[in-house]
Amino acid sequence: MSSVRSLISSLFCVAVILFFGMAYPHHLHYQEQFQLFLFDSNYVWDVVKQTGGVADLLGRFCTQFFLFAWVGAVIIGLLLTAIQLLTSRFVGDGWLYGLSFVPSFLLWIFLLDEHALLGGVWAVMITLHAVWQIVRLPKGWQRYVAIVVLLPVLYWMVGPSWTGSHYYRYPNVAPMLLYAAWLSAIVIPLLAYVCRKWIKPSKGYVVSLCSFVLVAGVMGSIVWKNANFKAEKVMQYDFMASHQQWNRIIETANKEKPNNQIGVTVQNLALAMRGVLLDQMQNYNQNGIAGLLPDVQSDAVSPMPTAEAFYQLGMIYVAQRTVFEAQEAILDFQKSGRCYKRLAQTNLIIGSYEVARKYLMALQKTLFYREWANETLSLLGDEVAIAKHPEYGRLRKWAYKDNFFFSDHVTPEMLESLYSGCTDNSMAYQYLMAYYMLTGDRERYNNFISKNR
Amino acid sequence: MLPADEYEACVARLTTPDGKQQTYGSGVKVQIPEEEWHDMLQASKGKSLKVEVWGQKNGEWLSYNPFDIMVAEEPIDEYLSYRLIEPTYVAWTYMEIAQRHLTTFEETQIFNNEITMNDKEKGQCINCHSYQNYKTDNMLFHVRLSNSGTIIVNDGKVSRVNLKRDYTISGGVYPAWHPTEKLIAFSTNLTRQAFHTSNHNKIEVYDLASDMILYDVKTDSVSIVSNDSTLLEVYPTWSPDGKYLYYCKSVPLPEGMDSKDIRTTYPKIQYNLYRRSFDVATHNFGDEELVYDAASSDKSVTLPRISPDGRYLLFALGQYGCFHSRHHDADIVCIPMEQYTGTPLTAETASFVDMRLVNSDGYSDSYPSWSSNGHWMMVASRRGDGNYSRVYFAYFKDGKVGKAFLLPQEDPEHNIFLLKSYNRPEFMIEPVKISVDEFSKVFDK
Repeated sequence: MSSVRSLISSLFCVAVILFFGMAYPHHLHYQEQFQLFLFDSNYVWDVVKQTGGVADLLGRFCTQFFLFAWVGAVIIGLLLTAIQLLTSRFVGDGWLYGLSFVPSFLLWIFLLDEHALLGGVWAVMITLHAVWQIVRLPKGWQRYVAIVVLLPVLYWMVGPSWTGSHYYRYPNVAPMLLYAAWLSAIVIPLLAYVCRKWIKPSKGYVVSLCSFVLVAGVMGSIVWKNANFKAEKVMQYDFMASHQQWNRIIETANKEKPNNQIGVTVQNLALAMRGVLLDQMQNYNQNGIAGLLPDVQSDAVSPMPTAEAFYQLGMIYVAQRTVFEAQEAILDFQKSGRCYKRLAQTNLIIGSYEVARKYLMALQKTLFYREWANETLSLLGDEVAIAKHPEYGRLRKWAYKDNFFFSDHVTPEMLESLYSGCTDNSMAYQYLMAYYMLTGDRERYNNFISKNR
Repeated sequence: MLPADEYEACVARLTTPDGKQQTYGSGVKVQIPEEEWHDMLQASKGKSLKVEVWGQKNGEWLSYNPFDIMVAEEPIDEYLSYRLIEPTYVAWTYMEIAQRHLTTFEETQIFNNEITMNDKEKGQCINCHSYQNYKTDNMLFHVRLSNSGTIIVNDGKVSRVNLKRDYTISGGVYPAWHPTEKLIAFSTNLTRQAFHTSNHNKIEVYDLASDMILYDVKTDSVSIVSNDSTLLEVYPTWSPDGKYLYYCKSVPLPEGMDSKDIRTTYPKIQYNLYRRSFDVATHNFGDEELVYDAASSDKSVTLPRISPDGRYLLFALGQYGCFHSRHHDADIVCIPMEQYTGTPLTAETASFVDMRLVNSDGYSDSYPSWSSNGHWMMVASRRGDGNYSRVYFAYFKDGKVGKAFLLPQEDPEHNIFLLKSYNRPEFMIEPVKISVDEFSKVFDK
């Protein structure tokens, strides 16, 4: 029987991994870019000193691996399976066995929300584990002592889960699904205990299997229904832009033309990076100027692809401001590896080496940005190396020569100034022409062509 | 601390005037236990501490030139408060007003923008903490946007007031407590920001309009001090005896420019320093006197502060505008007040205190202030990296200034990794005794 249970748990684990690895990978990338886990005692202490800090820290630690979606998927799969296995210890076999999957399924649904944080899952698991350890103790004073000792420790490690302060990105939003999962992890063992009189544990695996199939069928369909594949697509475009996967962006857009602002912005950026924006933009969905260089909004997500376009155009100060503001808009006050990286790059390009060093030294304390930070640190102040660098050298050359004030709305004059500062700036040229084409401004289009012929 | 990517280790030997020596060093850092440091300071008061530093590079020990730390006899004020904020543009997340005990490394929070923020969409900004005569029983700070108001502590009692009146252009902004009376002078400002496309200053903060008001704490009344709609008045500060109100006022723009968009005319907006006498009994102000004419030498004065003995004037001087904390050319200027006899001082007529040991080259130095005994100057400077402002102190005696030094931290890496700016550093002779929770009680939850 135990091997059948192991097989079912393994199946569940594989299903979770496949789901997050194949159908939801960019949600994991999204999560990773809104935090910055530092291997630094001050950072760790700042997190763990809060109530619920241990669960929060474990969640943050695991989330850094979400940079690689399959690793993230395995972490989630193992966590949800561990919670199921812990719950099943209370539930036993038979008709109630399927209920041992309910907390894990609820957490799965919780994690479909891009603002749900992994610390919440850790909080449920630590709580279940603590309860299991107490239950295993013999009845009597030892158990009471353990409860008295464990309760405050548990409160520090995983509380206050009811406020959801460490478990959901919006600090003032109550994560009801997490509460439901947490509650189910308590109610289901109690239910199993109460029902033991009437529902005897079955020795056969068929009953357990049937109960699993029933729960998996119902809750699996809820998972699928609640999955936000539209958001996944948007996040995919954002991810591809941040990793400068220009060919993959065009291939993806060719399969299914994006019709959301981020998708269109990224698609146009990729076309321009490949030098075919003016030739091919009519073959794709457009959204006027808003699909080329949208006005920067005051949130953490939508400005990032626009900031990528600003950066690739050579509007370095503008890109820096946009990324800085996006990072400031992260609702739970966390920092972002992606933003730090770009802030270091923009400061390097404009020659603010000491500011770049600050960001790079912070990134040196991370697992996955360390190597890049070390490489980039060696560039600071090395004018020759920067000039030769394929990206920084080009962008430094393309950057604005004349200073003027930037408003939140990109104007053709801004693009024209960029191009006139360096006529090698093919991106500025393409964006300026595209701007005129999208606004139907034939006169200025023709004037510019004749002026620069 | 020596750079970790260049050195393997660092050792420092400190010698007190009585000949006692102590050697410190752990990795590339030198951290001196607080108690031992205090003993060394005590033994060196009025004299100097000798410091010798060695760094290990590629296995070889290299010695630096020894230097002396002069230990002043006059103490610095016990406390310092500042706002810690990312050097942001428009958006911001967490910010706090904190106080630091200057003879230890203890930092505690006065207030933060999270505890009473009842509208996350709006956000909350806290700013402009200010004290009456370096004491904290009469103090204030502003809370903007969500749950907004000015928090005023009057003899230890906290209240939240709205300083906006029908006849003012805004609520109170930059404050100055009268040294003896329950009166606060504020500027009122319609402030805007613009962002450079290719300039290390990054942000330009400017006023579309700014006036000055006087707030009477006892009667909750606001009276206009000046409201010239064509010029901009800002940064009020009182003389230590409370008989004069100093402030900065813009000069008229050159002909033909006054009707243009301020974003194109900003490099021409310059401020001079003025003062008006004040009658404590009647609350009446006298006529305006021009104290320092900066515009005549193509400069702009901001943030004036008079020394506690009334003998010296500090201000931040830059080429244009009112927001020198973002101007790389901004420096601190100190002028003996005895030079002012009613005739406006200028760069040509005034002789300045030599401030080369205080100012940085090419980085913003702004927000100057005096300690309560007048022997310490404090400035906020971006000299470390051009972006993140830090607090620097300099000793001052008989018109001579010592070398400015950075606010010490327990861990020297603190200043590298702290991605916050120290904003509006203010000396206090005692801590703010009201807790964050107590402050939060005057807000709607």
